[in-house]
Amino acid sequence: MKINVFGSNISALVCAGCLAETGNQVTLIGNRDKERSEPGLLKLLDTQLDAGRLELSTGYDIDADYQIISLEPGNCSEAKLIARSLAAGTNPSTCLIIRSNFTMGTFKTITELSQKPCIVNPDFASEGRAIIGFMRPDRIIIGSHAPEAIKSFKRLFAPFNRNHNVIIEMSPESAELTKYATNAMLATRISLMNELAQAAEHLGADIEEVRQGLGSDQRIGQAYLYAGTGFGGADFEIDLSRIQKIIHDSGSDEGLLKAVSLINEQQKEVLFRKIWQHYNCQLDDKTVAIWGISYKPNSNSIEGAPSLALIKALLNQGCRLKIFDPMLETNFTMWMRETLPLEQQKRIEICADMYEATEQTDALCVMTEWQSFYSPNFETLKTNMRTPIILDGRNLYDKLWLAENQFTYYGIGR
Amino acid sequence: MIETQAFSKLKPLAESIKQIHLKSLFTGDVNRFEQFHVQTEHLLYDFSKQKINSEVLHELLNLATESDLQPWIEKLFSGEKINQTEDRAAWHTALRDINNPLTEVAQQWRKMEHIVDLMHSHQLRGFSGNAITDVVNIGVGGSDLGPLMVTYALESDKLSIAPEIHFVSTLDARQLQRLLKKLNPSTTLFIIASKSFTTIDTLSLAETAKEWIEEASPSNESTLRHFIGISTNPTKMTEWGILPQLQLEFWDWVGGRYSLWSSIGLSIAFKLGMRGYKDLLAGAHAMDIHFKTMPFAENIPVLLGLVGIWNTNFLDLKAQAILPYDSRLKYFASYLEQLEMESNGKSTRRDGTATTYRTCPVLWGEVGPNAQHAFYQLLHQGTERIMSDFILFTQGQSNSERAKFHQNLNIANCLAQSRALMVGKSSKDLNKNYPGDQVSNTLLLNQLDAFHLGLLVALYEHKVFVQSVVWKINPFDQWGVELGKKLAMDILAHIETHTTEKLDTSTAGILNTIWKQNNEN
Repeated sequence: MKINVFGSNISALVCAGCLAETGNQVTLIGNRDKERSEPGLLKLLDTQLDAGRLELSTGYDIDADYQIISLEPGNCSEAKLIARSLAAGTNPSTCLIIRSNFTMGTFKTITELSQKPCIVNPDFASEGRAIIGFMRPDRIIIGSHAPEAIKSFKRLFAPFNRNHNVIIEMSPESAELTKYATNAMLATRISLMNELAQAAEHLGADIEEVRQGLGSDQRIGQAYLYAGTGFGGADFEIDLSRIQKIIHDSGSDEGLLKAVSLINEQQKEVLFRKIWQHYNCQLDDKTVAIWGISYKPNSNSIEGAPSLALIKALLNQGCRLKIFDPMLETNFTMWMRETLPLEQQKRIEICADMYEATEQTDALCVMTEWQSFYSPNFETLKTNMRTPIILDGRNLYDKLWLAENQFTYYGIGR
Repeated sequence: MIETQAFSKLKPLAESIKQIHLKSLFTGDVNRFEQFHVQTEHLLYDFSKQKINSEVLHELLNLATESDLQPWIEKLFSGEKINQTEDRAAWHTALRDINNPLTEVAQQWRKMEHIVDLMHSHQLRGFSGNAITDVVNIGVGGSDLGPLMVTYALESDKLSIAPEIHFVSTLDARQLQRLLKKLNPSTTLFIIASKSFTTIDTLSLAETAKEWIEEASPSNESTLRHFIGISTNPTKMTEWGILPQLQLEFWDWVGGRYSLWSSIGLSIAFKLGMRGYKDLLAGAHAMDIHFKTMPFAENIPVLLGLVGIWNTNFLDLKAQAILPYDSRLKYFASYLEQLEMESNGKSTRRDGTATTYRTCPVLWGEVGPNAQHAFYQLLHQGTERIMSDFILFTQGQSNSERAKFHQNLNIANCLAQSRALMVGKSSKDLNKNYPGDQVSNTLLLNQLDAFHLGLLVALYEHKVFVQSVVWKINPFDQWGVELGKKLAMDILAHIETHTTEKLDTSTAGILNTIWKQNNEN
């Protein structure tokens, strides 16, 4: 089948790559700039391009059976332009699939403009696990009122729905809201856990133990119960503010999600507060190592990353910083240049090696759970560091063992 | 004043003009407004509703010249030590010379800007590491009234990133305690604003605030993160514990009631940003330039001051009402009470002799539309002869129909009241008889923003200065407030030792009653 995929984000690239891999002829109207930030994506795209099933183009295939819109959530206006142009002169039986997380109601406008049957098929896969999320999804939501389009969509997605049927059909409005609701629920769980973590510290409990007890309840489940330094990711935060507005506009003024957002903003600075209190509000002669800048492992995405809030807070108190991240790229140096005064930029040293970053430091903050950070050589750390303090923003380490081995350990909620 | 030729010419003019009703000055004179108003780019001053004619105005201008006003203005602006009893300059104009600031002023601006930047980027931290969200300004007199008046007036210009600003001034601490109940110690910052850093009002409140933070804070070092000091006395600030990076300074040549232009204006900068704060200074500076350079006949502060002298010393009016027709100027009258009455409420001349004429009238005021339902009755039908300043802004809240309606209603009321006070209305029924003949100024500004507010405040400062020059008094000291402070310490000692020895019977009687009631409670 012939497919046009509009978009350049990871979701669009993964969708194009995976659909080409299952034998379709895919035209990607976008660019590959973001392919390196998702594990396996570069290889997937290269293979499909070489096989001739994937083509990168500035114009779409006029004969395509499917039009998949996978633009950034802020690109509603571009989506409308595409819809308008699809109205005339495309394959009359083509159907339009919206995978972008646009503002509520965009579906309606796009259907009217394109005069084609439309489907809302939200992408639930998270960055860092996008390919597996596409190939073996928990669920495939089809939001549409067009029976023919639904049949056609099912044919296209059959290869990803083989093990057992994960398709759920619903109205487009419900599909749009389901995507927002999912992110709102995940965000709420994380912020609740972070609040509970603070209570655990206060009470002398350990949030890791609480998490296990809590998650074993089948009504709750284990996922997204990790206390940490807060969630990031640009789209996630946009979604949260949009759903906040939807709820507010619908007449509720109670502000649950506003609290979720505020707690998260506070949580991004949690390790700062621990260092600040440890050093009795005096940080201007301190050097701090930071492991992990991206907001999640296996990604170079730093938008809304908690590490950025930590970096700003430490620099404003006069600290020097030594930074290591396995996938640190130009987006971080761009952020530095755009956000920080020159004097502050000069106090950041970007290190090529995780241990080098700890040399002569007064604290180590672990911000992202990259696999290489799970089991570091603590002897090397102790030798390198001026003061062996570990601030474990992801609760990766054995706090008792570290304490026995002369480290000062601060976790989250323990 | 009374030795001048102008004075002797004005005296008989006053006697004859007293006989004329104010409204008749308008009769048949279509040019009266033209003749008795001054308009600049930013401000219109209408004094046609004063009992004045061209001859009177001419002699009042002569009075200013004979009083050496121009040389005094030059002394003021050059930083000469014109506060002679305290051997200090009164150089507040140097605080707002935004294009050509003194080195030390520019240095404090930079320090202020750094603190404001930290605050606005949520990087000013309390003991817990959380960012500060609330600022409490503890100060009294000039360290309170100016910032309070300005931040209240410019609430609509508050930056979204600004913290909440609160003001505490009264030494009974009830104001402070009420506020502390609502605040979180880990995110509250106190500004201790005191010129000398010895004022007991301020320091007693600062100690209470410190204890409140200490209850929550783990160490002295972390407690001190919650206090910014603003003073002319860095030694005292350091002794109290203010961290060097949280000390802002000003200088003995800044009078307390002129200090909002100095680092005392920090709370203003927190609310409006440094840009808003500098706009305020720029407005005042624009008035400084006007005052310094315009001929007296077109010089608004000079005219405002001379008209006040005419009313006080020649027409024998006893009080001055300040009537802003804008609710945002709620604290403006309180601010002027200090500015005018603490400056010119004196009866000793610069040469050490007593004055033989009246000086500053009693001044009070209220937002006009509210005052209409309070004390305007007295203005219209009472026995007192009063002079009033109506203050009005052209721009309303917005361009919506309702906003336009409210603004028109507001303008109509302001103009109606000044007109009613002028023309009155005769009736055989004395209850419905309005004598009129009450004089007023009207100040019209385009809008109420930082620039225009700075301009307005500086206008009154210079008006006060003009009057002080004619009255030959020093407006920059305030010896009158010292005796009460001293006696308070004396009575506090009596209370602490529970004795009434050597106290007058009234004071002793009240103390004894308090002690008795305390025992019964």
